[in-house]
Amino acid sequence: MASEVDPEAKQDEAEDSEELFYAAAVQILSEDLYPRKLEIIREYIQNASDALDDWLKISDLIPADRTEPQIKVSIQGKSVLIFDNGTGMTEDDIPKLKRIAYSEKKVGEEAGYKGIGRLAGIAVAEKLKITSTSYGDPRLYHFEFRAADMRRDISDKKKQGVNEPASPVIKRHTSTWWTDIDPADHYTLVEIRNIKDSCDELLDPDKLIEYIGDIGPVDFSPDYSHGAVISENLQRCVPDYSPKTVYLSRPDGKKVRVFKPYNDEMKTAAPQFIDIPDPNNPGKLLAYCWYTSKAEEILGKMRPTGKIFQVEGEEIEDRRRFAGLVYKLFGFSVGDRSLPERTLWSTARARALWFTGEIHIVDKNVQPTTPRSDFIENAARAKLYMEAQKRIPVFLNNLAQQISDNRKAFQDAKNIRQKLERYKAQLENGGIERSDLKVIRDELDKSFRKLGTRKNTTDRDITTYQKEARRIGETLQTELNNPKKLKPGYSVSDLVKDLDMPTKARKVFQIVMETLQQHFSKDKEEYHAIAAKIHKALKDKYC
Amino acid sequence: MRSPKLDTSFDSNPSKDFLRRDYDKAIISQWRAELGKPLKYLGLPAWKMLDVIEWQQFIDRFTTIEREENQQHLMFLKANVENVEHRLHSLYGEFDDILLKGRDSYGHTPEWPYELVNLDYFGGFIYADLSRPKAVRKLIQNQAVYERSFLLIITQQLRDRDSNKEKAGFLKDLGKSLKSGILDTALHPAVDSVISWYEAADMPDCARQTLYMNYFLRDSGEAEHFDVACRPAVIYPGTGGSWMIHFVTDFRFQSGIGHRVASNQSLLELLNLGLLEARGQGFVRTRFVQPKLSMRRRS
Repeated sequence: MASEVDPEAKQDEAEDSEELFYAAAVQILSEDLYPRKLEIIREYIQNASDALDDWLKISDLIPADRTEPQIKVSIQGKSVLIFDNGTGMTEDDIPKLKRIAYSEKKVGEEAGYKGIGRLAGIAVAEKLKITSTSYGDPRLYHFEFRAADMRRDISDKKKQGVNEPASPVIKRHTSTWWTDIDPADHYTLVEIRNIKDSCDELLDPDKLIEYIGDIGPVDFSPDYSHGAVISENLQRCVPDYSPKTVYLSRPDGKKVRVFKPYNDEMKTAAPQFIDIPDPNNPGKLLAYCWYTSKAEEILGKMRPTGKIFQVEGEEIEDRRRFAGLVYKLFGFSVGDRSLPERTLWSTARARALWFTGEIHIVDKNVQPTTPRSDFIENAARAKLYMEAQKRIPVFLNNLAQQISDNRKAFQDAKNIRQKLERYKAQLENGGIERSDLKVIRDELDKSFRKLGTRKNTTDRDITTYQKEARRIGETLQTELNNPKKLKPGYSVSDLVKDLDMPTKARKVFQIVMETLQQHFSKDKEEYHAIAAKIHKALKDKYC
Repeated sequence: MRSPKLDTSFDSNPSKDFLRRDYDKAIISQWRAELGKPLKYLGLPAWKMLDVIEWQQFIDRFTTIEREENQQHLMFLKANVENVEHRLHSLYGEFDDILLKGRDSYGHTPEWPYELVNLDYFGGFIYADLSRPKAVRKLIQNQAVYERSFLLIITQQLRDRDSNKEKAGFLKDLGKSLKSGILDTALHPAVDSVISWYEAADMPDCARQTLYMNYFLRDSGEAEHFDVACRPAVIYPGTGGSWMIHFVTDFRFQSGIGHRVASNQSLLELLNLGLLEARGQGFVRTRFVQPKLSMRRRS
């Protein structure tokens, strides 16, 4: 009996058995995902951070274990090592390390969830070695990915025109085994071994410290006096905010705790905060932002001074590396400091650079893209951007304007006040001559006009300071009218009066004398000597 | 912070533990006190770094040399668990190669000089290519470049197949050397007798090795301006039925000297040092008692 063959069913069967993922894709994925090689470290810090969070959920049940949860990064030879004493991996977890893009982490609950990052190191190293054990397990599990061998293998096969499916290639170049261990232990060590020379920034301790501090879930430095206040607010408003203790051991033997990059040397103003509420869930936040700007000590207090947020550095990019806000999700940066500027500001974008700070995403439906350079385009992201646009740039642009106005108002008042104080001192020492009066009065009028234009400051101390400047000016004005306070001497009008000249001659004489007075403004003695000689000569001839 | 402990049930035995915890530690402690600061360590510990962990109160930075990749990885793990990862400087490759070439497999160099060197060898000391003696000589030369005194601890397996040709030649030279220093020729037969005792084929190698190693260290050190003080070698049963031999030697650099140094410890004293035997938690009377050479004529 002949059976009928369904041609469509046959095609489905063929497609089912067809390999759709080839080994070269693993290499392409791992190499192209991390154009900036330091991002590879972020992947492992992220896994370590998740492991610490998992451990913290159960650590209360194990009172005997008093280990301080921490992540330690060190450099040994051409290896970078990332150690955490978090929950560790189980026997079931180890074989899953071979799986690409496989993750049991739930979206929105942990920083990493795509199952790609744990193999990030294979693009840059000869080998990736992971060793881990979990509490209660008497075995230490070892995983090794011989990445350089795999790359060579794939390249050789390509030369031969062979496209090998991914699975057998990965299996061939990976191994897992176990050894005995104390069941009370729980940790994971990742070794990115024999890193390529072209990726040597991964072996640069200073770059690692700066990078981890900038992007990692670390705490504020004790050297930043505003850090405690910001931390307190973040802990209150961002449910998953839990900075991790991260150490980096430098090859010279120094162990450094890594902190966020902010410190008091940056001279920042007191931080401020912006809620981004969820319009659909009153009382719930989509995000929470803290920010600050450059500050200077003005009137005995650190006050925002505005302008682009800059720190020490040789190149302009170095100086501006903290200018702008940065998005944070589970404590990790998403995108760089240009992302909020690009996504939230539509006008006056330069104002975004006046501030530094972080926008912590509370709504975990907002998810990062795999390279963490942006968020995945979805409804949650659209809502976040829309609500944040209504608040963050509006607040900050207004604030920038206020800071600018206040700064200019203070600077003007300060300059005027300095000038007035100088005149006042001169007057008290009998140093102002009648001949100077016109110039001084003009100056005073100009100052009053300037003070008048800057009167709307939002800073009460600066307003008071302006008022004081005006009061000094008014007092000075009154005192200038008192001839007893002026230095005796001939003014041009005195001479004119003395010589009894006709109008035209008086005008010519006045122009000549004023020109001389101006010319000798820095040598008044000389002017007076010349004026006296002219006066005498004219008096001798005409009187 | 309490560190979780890795399993330490292997790679040691009670005699070795005794030497590390009591015998060596006391000497290292003296060196630490004398130096007034922690010692910089170079060594070949296994991944568990039992010596480094035991002596860590006397040690500052420690450079380890490991030739097996997985062992080195475990050493990184152990250092992290013990919270000493920042003090670890780990080189990868064969100790002899690194000493002779000056670099490890990845091009990294030891952080010369050191004050404590602990070479716990797998296997013996003398192989056909003499790479180990050459490497130790190079180590001493490197220390001399920095004029740095140091304590050298060497542990090796006692292997009767260790190049006997090398040792036979050495014993002949030692005999000559001793006799040339003893003007009273009437004493020369006593020297010959002692040397013959060491040369005897049925003699266990521990005696020969003790003399060979101490003389080798003294000779290499003096040539590089060190006053060398050897101690009696310690033999102890190792794991797997083998015997181990352990040397602890002081190298004190004599600065401002152009000529070869003559150590305060005389050659005769060195010859008569003999050896100790450790068993379990202490020393026992050893059956390997070598004849002592006296400079007095028998009456």
